[in-house]
Amino acid sequence: MTDMWTLATLWLGLALVATLLSIWLRIATALSEIVVGTVAQLIMGALISGALLGTDQSWIKFLSGTGAIMLTFLAGAELDPDVFKLKWKEATGIGLAGFIAPFLGCAAVAYYVLHWGARASWLTGVALSTTSVAVVYAVMLEFGLNKTSFGKSVLAACFINDLGTVIALGLIFSPFTMRTMVFAVVSIVVFAVLPWLTPRFFKRYGGRPSELESKYLLLCLFGMGGLAVWAGSETVLPAYVIGMVLAGTVGKDHVLVRRLRTLTFGLLTPFYFIRAGSFVSVPALIAAPMVFIILLLAKMVTKFVAVYPTTKAFGTPKREGLYTTLLMSTGLTFGSISALFGLSHGIIDRTQYSYLVATVIGSAVVPTLIANAFYLPRHLLGKTEEEATAVAQISHVQGQSEKGAAYD
Amino acid sequence: MCKGSLKRGPLMISKILIAYDGSDPSKRAFDFGLDIASKYSAELLVLSVVRLPEPAVDVETESLVESGGEYYKEQFAELREKAASLGITPRFEVAVGHPAEQIIDRAEEENVDLIVMGHRGKTFVERWLLGSVSKRVLSYAHCAVTIVR
Repeated sequence: MTDMWTLATLWLGLALVATLLSIWLRIATALSEIVVGTVAQLIMGALISGALLGTDQSWIKFLSGTGAIMLTFLAGAELDPDVFKLKWKEATGIGLAGFIAPFLGCAAVAYYVLHWGARASWLTGVALSTTSVAVVYAVMLEFGLNKTSFGKSVLAACFINDLGTVIALGLIFSPFTMRTMVFAVVSIVVFAVLPWLTPRFFKRYGGRPSELESKYLLLCLFGMGGLAVWAGSETVLPAYVIGMVLAGTVGKDHVLVRRLRTLTFGLLTPFYFIRAGSFVSVPALIAAPMVFIILLLAKMVTKFVAVYPTTKAFGTPKREGLYTTLLMSTGLTFGSISALFGLSHGIIDRTQYSYLVATVIGSAVVPTLIANAFYLPRHLLGKTEEEATAVAQISHVQGQSEKGAAYD
Repeated sequence: MCKGSLKRGPLMISKILIAYDGSDPSKRAFDFGLDIASKYSAELLVLSVVRLPEPAVDVETESLVESGGEYYKEQFAELREKAASLGITPRFEVAVGHPAEQIIDRAEEENVDLIVMGHRGKTFVERWLLGSVSKRVLSYAHCAVTIVR
């Protein structure tokens, strides 16, 4: 027992360090947790023992898995069902394009260029097919596009894109047996009943200190997750769909969502992301960095080819369309979940896992770094290149002449 | 330190934007802007920006937008009282995104004559990773900018 509490202390210590880093550097907590996990494993492996973190202990696996389930459930619950009902045709079109092109393109690159096995290549396609709803949402907020017809369509499309990813992850690698049929039938019934039952159940018994709502939701998520694993699928598939079908009820209960976030971010997701990071092999990444670059390029090119023409088809202004497309990066959540699924099921090895996680992080971080390094206010992006450069130079000279360049 | 616009004629201050993030320098910037607004009888817009972590991540982003908005609403209540004592009724807004981008954009949209903001000292690493807000506003704003130390 002493070992368990000592190990828990170590993990929570790492989680605290990761959180402090995310605050100081203003980076996403998930990113800092992955990096802290990687560095901690590297240092402990070199100095003490590679098994010190105890990543294979059952209780750590449970907390980590529950973190992934809760995170995908909450991500699904952020869907706006009213917008989706209104824009489902456009959302489905953009979402499927955003999923299929990188899925097939990245799988082909892994198979034909990197000469990975067929199953590893398919998993590469799945892991790199996602689109970060959060990144697109942030861009929409910045541009004020979240209230426009285009913005709503693209945001809803991201959910379809991620739904494609979790369905592919849940079905491609599972054998199609009687169990799959049972899982499919039970899922359809549960997904249909939950939106009707849940609000009525909560209204009758909820709103008490006993946290009935949390217990009920965890029961549904664990039950469907268990059934999915029994059928050879993945727990996040039902979790994401349950989140989506309950988005109009549970998703709108801000107090409940906040309590679930506290549970998720406070205890569960640090175990998930630190564990995911601890499996990344830095020596493998250093040994062949070109693999990472090839996968990153494949991801960005296929996403661009699929999404940009679609945004044009919707009559989106060029700069908004371009910016949105460029920032349709891989989500850390679904990208890392797919990669970890592949590693834990023996579909990919640790080296391939390291490249996939690095690519997932890279596709999220590189556009941000580029945007920061070559910063130009977006009101200049619409001008011609010459005009923009001239205005930027004049402004820069003015700033320099006023000693303004010295400020923070 | 102040940078005046070279494109316009005499500097007339009829609308001021104060960038406010709840820090001590931004509180000083608010007091300074309030004083100028009172002297010039200028319209006052207080802008706060919720900066998201990079890259934005599922669930955490929505959580930050909500908590950031609530934090600034509480802050605005105090500022509103302070301004009312001088007979000024500012407008308060919360934007989401990169602070410099939002400040520059809002200043242009509102056609303000002066941006007032605080100065926050940052380490080299913070500057490299995040960029300097005041430097960017100073470089790209269409109007005069005052950085309050």
